[in-house]
Amino acid sequence: MTIAILLVVAAALALVFILGITVSRSLQISSGSGLVGQIQPIDIEAFRNLVDPAEDEYLRRRLTAAEFRVVRRERLRAVAAYVQVAGRNAAVLVRMGQAAMTGDSQTTEAARRLVDSALLLRRNAAFALFRIYIALVWPNPGFAAVPILQGYERLNGAAMLLGRLQNPAAPVNISAQL
Amino acid sequence: MLQAHSFLWNYLWVAPNVFLLGLGLLLWRRGLSRQFPAFLAFAILSSVGGLAVFLADILPSVSPENFWRVDWLCLLIESFLKFLVIAEVFSRVLNPYPSVSRLGRVLVSAFGAVLVLLGVLTAALSPGDTSFRLISGFHLLEQTVFLIESGVILFLFLFAAYFRLSWDRFSFGLLLGFGVSACAYLATWAVITNVAPSAHGRVLLDFLNMATYHACVLLWFYYLLVPGKVVAKSAVPLPENTLDVWNRELERLVHP
Repeated sequence: MTIAILLVVAAALALVFILGITVSRSLQISSGSGLVGQIQPIDIEAFRNLVDPAEDEYLRRRLTAAEFRVVRRERLRAVAAYVQVAGRNAAVLVRMGQAAMTGDSQTTEAARRLVDSALLLRRNAAFALFRIYIALVWPNPGFAAVPILQGYERLNGAAMLLGRLQNPAAPVNISAQL
Repeated sequence: MLQAHSFLWNYLWVAPNVFLLGLGLLLWRRGLSRQFPAFLAFAILSSVGGLAVFLADILPSVSPENFWRVDWLCLLIESFLKFLVIAEVFSRVLNPYPSVSRLGRVLVSAFGAVLVLLGVLTAALSPGDTSFRLISGFHLLEQTVFLIESGVILFLFLFAAYFRLSWDRFSFGLLLGFGVSACAYLATWAVITNVAPSAHGRVLLDFLNMATYHACVLLWFYYLLVPGKVVAKSAVPLPENTLDVWNRELERLVHP
């Protein structure tokens, strides 16, 4: 009986999500204009300052451990807010790029590049938010998840290298320095 | 009216299969069979299978054991083809987007594996509604297949919605139909398998299943035959953006 209830509830929730996505998709199609206005400007320099490891190190030296945790959580919340806006902007740019894909070949190519970069940003924003939420729960650097993340990064690096060797034309996710 | 083998019952059993066969033929005549080969196979084999099960049900010469054997065979073929159709639609949605297609494939494989484990677990914990293994096994398999199917389809919808991936109209309609039917079937088979409803309750659940399937076949017709809204494309040039800068910053955050 319990399994039946759980499965019926799960099925109902899945149905609600699927129908909700269908409705929101049809609304998006009918309101395709005004996308530019949905982009929220964000200050990249302020963001760089918030994620600067030297700033974190400075604060850790100047504050007590308890104070540092409070301040770091505040900074992480601010970073999360920036990343969420960047992700939302990327979603808008994906739609703008898709809308522009029916133009001439040069525009279509530019639109395709825009969509690709925007999707990459949306993906990176999701990963970054995941990492930020872990850090919010465990604000001390060197928390338990770090070895897992490092392992993941090594794995990811190896997978990316393999992917690059297998398909040099595909976009490769390389951490770049500005 | 809501009795087994009433006119409505027979209609709801036969009509969706006939319509689905017609949809398959229409797809083939429109030259879409190369784009949707798995769905074409599903439309033809599933509808023929459904009609075969109907015949096995009404023909007095077919024993109950043989009826359930035919039903088992059709379920296995239909389930396999459904997952092929889902994979076909997923490929059509992801292929134009190389930056997320690999992530999508990895995630759907991992999520699918979790769903298989969950399906096996729920099947193991389900008491079964009858002492006949042929029948209770069939019900458990239905529950497991629809649990996996609805989970995978929900994942695809969420993934595409999160990344704002655009779908072609018919692919979207296909997955919507499969999603709605999988959710309805999961709920009804969970009740049939775990609660063992009365004979009349069982008939009502059968009506719900058949009516849902009928609606989904009509939905596929709608998405195939009715063209979507033509949205006027904006002539506005693509905006200047700092996507590359943001991507570098976020990658530094994700991979410090």
